[in-house]
Amino acid sequence: MIAGFYLIIGIIAVALIMVLKTHNMKRVVLICQALANLAVSGYLMFFVTIPEATGFFRIDHLSAFEAGLSSVVFFAASLYAGGYVRRLIETGELSPRSLGLFYGGFSILMTVTSVVFFSDNLVLFWILAEITTVVSAMLVASLSARENIDAALKYIFIASTAMLFAFIGLIFLFEMSRGVSAPGTLNWSELMLISGGFDPKIALAAFFFVFIGFSAKSGIVPFHTWLPDAHSKAPSAVSAVLSGVLLNIGMYGIIRVYAIIRQVPGSEAGGLFLMAFGILTVSVGALMMLRQKNLKKLIACSSIENMGLILIGISIWTPLAIFWVMFQTLAHSLTKAELFLSAGIIHRQYKSDNPDEEDQICDAFEMQPFASFCLVAGALAIIGTPLFPVFLPKLFILLETVRFDLLTGVVILIFIAIGSFALLRFIWTVLSSRSELDLIKKPVHYPVGRGMHIALVFLLLTMIYFGISVPGWFYDYLNMIVAELGLGGAL
Amino acid sequence: MISEIFSDVVRIILVFILITAALTISTRTLSALVRVYSIQSFLIAILACVLWGMLQEDTLLLIAAITFAVKVILIPSFIGKIQKRINIRRDLEFNYLKPAGSIVVSLGLMLMVYVVFSRVLGNFAVVNPLFFLGAVVGVSLMLMGMLVTFSRKKTITKVMGYLSMENGVLIFGCFATELPLIVEVMILIDLIILVILTTILTVGIDSSLDEYQERLIQYHLWPSEEAKE
Repeated sequence: MIAGFYLIIGIIAVALIMVLKTHNMKRVVLICQALANLAVSGYLMFFVTIPEATGFFRIDHLSAFEAGLSSVVFFAASLYAGGYVRRLIETGELSPRSLGLFYGGFSILMTVTSVVFFSDNLVLFWILAEITTVVSAMLVASLSARENIDAALKYIFIASTAMLFAFIGLIFLFEMSRGVSAPGTLNWSELMLISGGFDPKIALAAFFFVFIGFSAKSGIVPFHTWLPDAHSKAPSAVSAVLSGVLLNIGMYGIIRVYAIIRQVPGSEAGGLFLMAFGILTVSVGALMMLRQKNLKKLIACSSIENMGLILIGISIWTPLAIFWVMFQTLAHSLTKAELFLSAGIIHRQYKSDNPDEEDQICDAFEMQPFASFCLVAGALAIIGTPLFPVFLPKLFILLETVRFDLLTGVVILIFIAIGSFALLRFIWTVLSSRSELDLIKKPVHYPVGRGMHIALVFLLLTMIYFGISVPGWFYDYLNMIVAELGLGGAL
Repeated sequence: MISEIFSDVVRIILVFILITAALTISTRTLSALVRVYSIQSFLIAILACVLWGMLQEDTLLLIAAITFAVKVILIPSFIGKIQKRINIRRDLEFNYLKPAGSIVVSLGLMLMVYVVFSRVLGNFAVVNPLFFLGAVVGVSLMLMGMLVTFSRKKTITKVMGYLSMENGVLIFGCFATELPLIVEVMILIDLIILVILTTILTVGIDSSLDEYQERLIQYHLWPSEEAKE
């Protein structure tokens, strides 16, 4: 039922965006849609009796949480998009003809990313996830520069090819379910009930295939190569969504299927498998961060690192670990969106006309004081400074890893430290650069739209709200998710 | 007796499909590649019909019909049209592997898939021999398609690789009978979106930026009346 609300809002919004001519009106429609989605998500999270099931859709606490989180990020991104796009048009990087494409695509993406979390049927989830890939790739390519088209194609090919493997995994799951209770099912809610009777070997094979597909969507190494390009070339409002929401879709898929597989007796080997990929991802992500020269690429690499950490949390699969995995998902999405949005302002301010040249950043605090401040705050947040939301989950996932194996925990800690060092070093060098000392020509001031600042303030406040303490309602909510994933009682 | 004949026919068709997969890897002309793809899809449609004869699952007939309409006719003609317009005939640029090497690698992959699946599936494979065969051929076809996707440079050839991967999934899906039809329909929708999108982007990548919009309009991929504004 609730999923229908999102769909109706989405259809109305897309229709209006296509019909209305001016940029301003399209922008307002997008913000209204985001606001309406936020309202529906709020209603869903606090007033609807969960689980709610209708037809292909089923909403439990995990899906409501993910949908709510996406609405928050999308709201910030759509506030930001208007001002950002206006400048793109002024500089001629976005053709006015593509406006409908951009706003329409953004609106479709917003609707699909909300609904994707509600699908009970894993194949429906698969197809909706594929659609998010296609639509977001289109948004990456909307700035029809050659690098953008390159990045978009790389994204589509790697993500979609991998997703086909996930489909093989789903067919395996279906065959197994048919063996246990005819005529077979692909609904995760039913699979959770019957997966106790699956053959562990085939179950692990199925998980292996599903994992390949969804991990490419979340940028897990070795399927991460598309991520830095796509996230850094996309318009910043889209980058925020790519990093803050779309990566979560892949992780959501992994969690759902892993929860099913963990019901199968003798499937613990899956945990080691995930752990190995998690460590690999954290290490590669951190080392990639060391040699980045581009701000947005650096932030994108930090996403890879964080996805690795989330994967490690999933691999441990204790109630405590999953609790903090969920918290980390929230913290990462908010912080990464904030970082990309502020980096977007800095990037536009110092963008070089030559696409092969990196931005020459100087006097940032004078030129863009607020964006620079937000960039510093976001960087401090993402490395896990206390009072920001990433701190607690990072700490507890690490502690859980140490409890699992001391050496593994230490290795991960070292790589996280390397990543944090790389990020802070870069931000420090860039923001302390002066035009007189470094002989850089100061560019013309880039006027920042009001909506862009409001979006940043909104995200900062939300981050601080979740960072200062874990709100009581949120604590209960996460416990509910943990219980529903088959991990038994609350903390 | 009849079912034995049927399962022999299925095996023969699968062998032909593998031959088309090998052709996909070794073909150098784009139009031949499109033709091979359409033959491969046609074989899959026949396969679905034969399986229907064996199992009497009506979904299989529908799958055959949809496959024929979309993959034998619609997509190949679409790609053929685009290809004529952007004038790419040959794709001689290979990233890592030359065709001869690719065939050797794909033989290795097939062997690997066979060994791994027979280990993993164990008893399940003995009880359902056809499912096992479908799994092996389907996944091998996917891996061979992946070879094409990652060893060719032109995007339009990469698309062909992706399409042939998707055929692999479809073969596997046919053998996992009783799989709801909606599954196949949804894959096809996804496929069409993907083909259209990548083709549009391909037009962009094989031309310089300024020409891009012009070309899109010229090929009627972009509404031209707006362009006049």
